[in-house]
Amino acid sequence: MFVNLSKLDLKETCSPADKGAPKLCLRALPGEGAERSCAFDGARVVLMPVTDAAHLVHSPIACAGNSWDNRGARSSGSQLFRRGFTTDLKEQDIIYGGEEKLFQAILEIATKHRPQAIFVYSSCVAALIGDDLEKTCARAQEKLTIPVIPVNAPGFLGDKNIGNRIAGDVLANRVIGTKDPEAPKVPLSINLIGEYNIAGDLWGVLPDLQNLGIRLQAAITGDARFADVQSAHRASLNVLVCSKSLTNLVRTMERRWQIPYINASFYGIRDTSQALQDIAAALGDPALIERTKFYIKKREAVIRQAIAQYRERLEGKTAILFTGGVKTWSMVSTLAELGINILAGGTQNSTPEDFLRMKELMDPTAQIIEDTSSAGFLDIIATKKPDLIVAGGKTKYLAHKTRTPFLDINHGRKLPYAGYEGMITFAQAVDRTVFSPVWELLARPFPSLEAAL
Amino acid sequence: MREERHYQGNPQKNSPALGATLAFLGINGLLALLHGSQGCSTFIRLQLSRHYKEPIPLNSTALQEDSAIFGGWDQLKKGIGKVMDKYQPQIVGVMSSGLTETFGDDMTSALASLHEERPELRPHPVVLVSAPDYIGSMQEGYQRTVLALLSTLLPAPTSDLNSTFAHDKSAVTGMKDAADPATPIIALFPGCHLSPSDIDELKDIMTLFGLHPVVLPDLSTSLDGHLELEPAPVVQGGTTLEEISLLPQAVAAFSFGLSMHKAGQYLEENYHVPHYNFPSLTGLSATDALIMTLAGLTKQPVPAKLSHQRSQLLDTLADYHDQLGGKQIALALETDLLYSLATALIEVGAEVPVALAASPNEIKNFPTGIPVQVGDLEELEELAGATQLIIANSNGRQAAAALNRPHLRAGLPVFDRAGYPQKIWIGYRGTQNFIFDVLNTLAV
Repeated sequence: MFVNLSKLDLKETCSPADKGAPKLCLRALPGEGAERSCAFDGARVVLMPVTDAAHLVHSPIACAGNSWDNRGARSSGSQLFRRGFTTDLKEQDIIYGGEEKLFQAILEIATKHRPQAIFVYSSCVAALIGDDLEKTCARAQEKLTIPVIPVNAPGFLGDKNIGNRIAGDVLANRVIGTKDPEAPKVPLSINLIGEYNIAGDLWGVLPDLQNLGIRLQAAITGDARFADVQSAHRASLNVLVCSKSLTNLVRTMERRWQIPYINASFYGIRDTSQALQDIAAALGDPALIERTKFYIKKREAVIRQAIAQYRERLEGKTAILFTGGVKTWSMVSTLAELGINILAGGTQNSTPEDFLRMKELMDPTAQIIEDTSSAGFLDIIATKKPDLIVAGGKTKYLAHKTRTPFLDINHGRKLPYAGYEGMITFAQAVDRTVFSPVWELLARPFPSLEAAL
Repeated sequence: MREERHYQGNPQKNSPALGATLAFLGINGLLALLHGSQGCSTFIRLQLSRHYKEPIPLNSTALQEDSAIFGGWDQLKKGIGKVMDKYQPQIVGVMSSGLTETFGDDMTSALASLHEERPELRPHPVVLVSAPDYIGSMQEGYQRTVLALLSTLLPAPTSDLNSTFAHDKSAVTGMKDAADPATPIIALFPGCHLSPSDIDELKDIMTLFGLHPVVLPDLSTSLDGHLELEPAPVVQGGTTLEEISLLPQAVAAFSFGLSMHKAGQYLEENYHVPHYNFPSLTGLSATDALIMTLAGLTKQPVPAKLSHQRSQLLDTLADYHDQLGGKQIALALETDLLYSLATALIEVGAEVPVALAASPNEIKNFPTGIPVQVGDLEELEELAGATQLIIANSNGRQAAAALNRPHLRAGLPVFDRAGYPQKIWIGYRGTQNFIFDVLNTLAV
């Protein structure tokens, strides 16, 4: 039942020795207060945006009860993925095992909610009591016409990153290529790997792709129907947009279906243009390459014009950046496009490549955040006194206590920041928080007798 | 009979460890440590911070695969030591998780062994609470934690308590200032169904009767959302250790919510403090019961302010009785809140055909008029079709949308409406607020 980590190619890259680098090989330390989440969370993050599937968590209430429907991944169609399903293992199940309960639950959900597939997630407790997820899913599958897919990523396997990779493995081995396996490649088509459509990010990128004549085969996974992902092997190119932890997936797809891959980011004007050019170049269509060259010039001019007023106001402001994945480095250049200097940057859920790239892009005088706990975070805010903090929701309310403008760029946000249009939304959001009148109100002294006399 | 289901669909239940964390968050200078894998604490932090809009100090022993084989005993020792060294909290609150309960880590022996190795840590209290995910819900974890706080932090009961502390009701006389050490102390044990502002209101009522409230745990000063001057990674506000040590001297213990009965009983059994349980504080009858008990206990006339609030509530009931009468309302909540809101609604003529509890505890103590049963929000969706209003946490939004019914948020989490931790739904004034919230939600 345990996942064989060595087979999963999880630990092939060790962390660089640089201070503040995400600690991939090192285990998280007990009591340290570093906020890194677990493998189960990482797997679910990747698979959850398969919108017409049911996502069933085989666990006691803690794994799903506290966290279902809590991400901003959006769907243009089915809302089934937002439903929380769990076997809610109880004391009796811990003693006698939970396989039968799981089996019945799968059948009941399939009958009642008519999903296109069911992803069944293991958990720490399910793994410990020895429930055979694989066998139970196979048994249920025999009775059903839809795929029942086990996802073996109990939380104790490690950080979120490891869960991301396991999910990538599940997609490669159980989903992609299971529809029309021999069908030819679709010309000028791409998969966006690691695009979760948070706050509708994907929809900010799609119009530009369409305008250029590039077809989206599947976003893996964001606003994705199960059938889209099944046909993802027909894409001509994989574009890895976030979470290099899915590198294993694109490598497998390259091997198995001869789909080359490139890295890209859609945050910020420069990165978006670069991404479109790289996609065109990798697709190798001369007309597309030419079109793209003109297209990005035109779009850049329009967007730069639109954000000029914000840049003028924000020029010279300072920020602390703390995020994960592609945003680790992509946000450095995005903020630079608004004239904002980064005083310190840090990351937890990133790969070493992401981290090194961030370091490279940042001003050499910028500090790397080494202690990524809330204590370390408070320290750095106190010493750097930035005009803006750019980070995820976990640090939002702590940041507010320091009376510092804060921008949430992770999954809790409501606004799309990706693509050219996203850059305008982003600039507006930064401007709104930095220049909000409340910061001046917060700095005023409390009324007192002394002041009144 | 409904068909038995083998899964929870759209759970309304939060984990017991989340409830334990919540109780720990009401203790000043505490840092909570969850003995489990990293996700356990991350999910709790996210859930609580999206409800309270506050940073949630909670650390983890960050168990990994080898712990699943060798157990997490060593990790727990390291975690407690690390938390104390790095953050210097006044007190550490440790809770187990489904994972560590399943492999049976003995937390008591881990702590004893740590103390043996590092005797300098002994003076800092560590509260251990068992909060397996597979038993109960938020409410059970919270209640167990309050009991663990009492049994760990209170001085050992002595036989001559009765002579040391005057517990007879005649000792309570005169309006006194809360800071005056002669002001009689009243022990308050709020359930997790009360908001920080509810607790604040409760303290005000006690003060009006000349009592000095000591609240365990006191979320009204820690999770009420105020801007500290110095943000810190441990609990700010909340009950201090010094205040907790005063509890045995209380003239009475009031527990709020059926689930908190045991906490009040603990004080009565061990320190002979008379205990009164108030299953609800919402509604006219419930508030009358509280005020009458306070008047009897303190021999004080009912403060004019409260009597005036009562007559304001009566006026509201008269003005809106017709809009409330016969309204069909479906509720899905943790049992203490379910009891409070359902009885308050029935009292004013509304009907509660659907009452779904998050966990089975205490439902046997519900009045016969409420058709209470354990259920999730998928069941709410199935059963609430004939009702006019849904009362549930924010996760009830899927059911409300599917049925096209108005949805009054209550319970936890509420993440898509502003100001819920600041809502007062208890006492005369709070009951009036609740009635207005019901009416205004129905009006949309």
